[in-house]
Amino acid sequence: MRAGKPSGRRWLVPIVGIVLGSVAGVASVALANAAAQRSSPPQRAVFDATHLPPLLTTPGERVDLAFDVHCAAGDVEDAEGGCDVSGAVFVRATGTAAFDRIALSPGSSDERRRLTASVPDSLASRRGGFEYYAEIEAPDLGERLTVPAGGADAPHVSRRLENSLDVALGRHAFGADRREGARLAFASWGDGATQAGLEQGRNLPPIGASAFDVDAAGTVVVLDQAHRRLLRWRKGARSPVHVPLSVTGTLADMAVGNDGSLYVLESTAEPGRNPLVRRFDDAGRELEAMETAERTSQIRMTPDGAVVLAHPSHHWMPITVDGVPASRAEQRRHGRSSRALRSGGEIVVFRHANELRVALVSGRSMRSWRLTSDTPLAEVQLAESLGQRLVLVVRLYDDSVGEFAVLTLDRNGLVDRFTLDAADWAETAPLGRFRLAGRSLYRLGSTPSGAFVDRFDLEVR
Amino acid sequence: MLTSRTLLLTFVLAVVLAWVGSAAAYHTRFVADNCNYAAPTPTSYITREGSAAVALRARHEGYQWGGGCWNDNDRDDSPGDPTTDAGTGGEGGDCSGFTFKVWREALATSDSSFHQWGMLRYVHGPYTAASFKAGSGAPNVTAPKSNLIRMDALASDGHIGLIYAVNPDGTDQIIEAKGEAYGTNIWTRTYRGSSSYSGVRRTGWSS
Repeated sequence: MRAGKPSGRRWLVPIVGIVLGSVAGVASVALANAAAQRSSPPQRAVFDATHLPPLLTTPGERVDLAFDVHCAAGDVEDAEGGCDVSGAVFVRATGTAAFDRIALSPGSSDERRRLTASVPDSLASRRGGFEYYAEIEAPDLGERLTVPAGGADAPHVSRRLENSLDVALGRHAFGADRREGARLAFASWGDGATQAGLEQGRNLPPIGASAFDVDAAGTVVVLDQAHRRLLRWRKGARSPVHVPLSVTGTLADMAVGNDGSLYVLESTAEPGRNPLVRRFDDAGRELEAMETAERTSQIRMTPDGAVVLAHPSHHWMPITVDGVPASRAEQRRHGRSSRALRSGGEIVVFRHANELRVALVSGRSMRSWRLTSDTPLAEVQLAESLGQRLVLVVRLYDDSVGEFAVLTLDRNGLVDRFTLDAADWAETAPLGRFRLAGRSLYRLGSTPSGAFVDRFDLEVR
Repeated sequence: MLTSRTLLLTFVLAVVLAWVGSAAAYHTRFVADNCNYAAPTPTSYITREGSAAVALRARHEGYQWGGGCWNDNDRDDSPGDPTTDAGTGGEGGDCSGFTFKVWREALATSDSSFHQWGMLRYVHGPYTAASFKAGSGAPNVTAPKSNLIRMDALASDGHIGLIYAVNPDGTDQIIEAKGEAYGTNIWTRTYRGSSSYSGVRRTGWSS
């Protein structure tokens, strides 16, 4: 007869195993973490430049090109240490072959990293304008960059306004000249099948119903990014149907393609990557995903396909070339300061302080407007041609209020003007609030109760 | 034989469980494993260029509500942190903590002098987005939105972002700690025209 082990000894071995195993497990995780920390990459050099290109100039205007360079050596926490920077701009008259080099000069001792160059009058005053790019370097850091990134292949184009029509908007009366639109779509905030979602997060302001578009048949589509889906209202429908989309769920812009497919421009990306443009079919199946060359702010359709506005180049870049997804280098090489319009020609927008300059360019001809305002102008939400007219939606603001002005202009001046309350309770893609389709203007708005799309029929002669 | 097998089995089981448990908790240990509480370095002056460099070092890093510590490896080292808990110890600043460090402010709200905080110094500072919006604290003042330039801020009751550059269409490029799903980065925003946002300026820039 075998004597049983005492109950204390029976548990001793498993207890020892558990204790030893736990110690080994925790220790190995700690060692792995410590190794990961030791292998963390060191602080790296900072090198970046910002530049506001003078896309539209006026006759006789002095043209200075300024580049604010931000740099700091790696492994140096002193932010004021900075670095030595230098560079040059390469300028040519539009339509000519060779660029002339002009050295960039540093600013005063307080602004050593603001590099500037004046464009010679002989170039700045040319009727066709001029083209340029800059190369900036920090020799001590071994860093170099080209602005815009496409360099000589895709320089900035600065056009001179000829016979532009001056429009003085005066002092804006907030709340006046309001116009009511027809409500086409409404989705209350929530998680139901026909509701729109708000992104979740501590301290996040309301973010939801990120963007929208309207197709040729009058179908309204709203990107409900928080639910990773699309809400679609067929013309005349009171309730939407939802279509799941594989998107990141963060702020994104969108556009309905010429073939009916749907383009979503993300604003966040995997580490080390730029945001994607995802193309979906009508049923929400992903057809393509293309990485953008730079950070981007909006996506629009042109006769040749979708283009994204990329920064810091401030260029409209195609995401496909000849129907094939474009590499990042190809996107940069094909970047343009102007955007091709579906109705033909190109449009250029340049807002500086309280002045807004807009040009419609077709070959060598140009129609242009120069709007001045006694009330501060913020962003241009929409600029499109409509027949022989130009439709602009621009935000006016002071320190306590902001609203949108819808301006219709022709070759004689301002034809129509009305205002819309901001209706921006929830944040959208920065330029995702207005679209022009047919003869109607559409706007995406929001209140604490939900998101909506309204239509405003524009007079066209 | 049976004893050895039992010992081995329990040992392996414990190692696996310890790994799973520790690894699951790791994403909340960024602050504990990386950050410090070193005193800031007083500086005699600050420039907007210098503050832009501080901000750019935080670019592509994470977001942590109530946080203020990050490294410079261009990724969020604690992705997916719970968004409702300030104490998870993840990487990144929140919007106001990020602004505090970029503007190189002092912990005492009565102190407008300049303090260089290291990236890995865990500090949030005494201001919320709303208090920045109100111009609270000696270093901060409200400013007309139309006069704001680079490294000035636009603040609402719940968020604050710094102006990095202006775009030709009148939008601003804002560098900000936006949220857990966004991290810290530069995005085009339309805060300037929104009535929810006010202009805020740090005083004392040398340029």
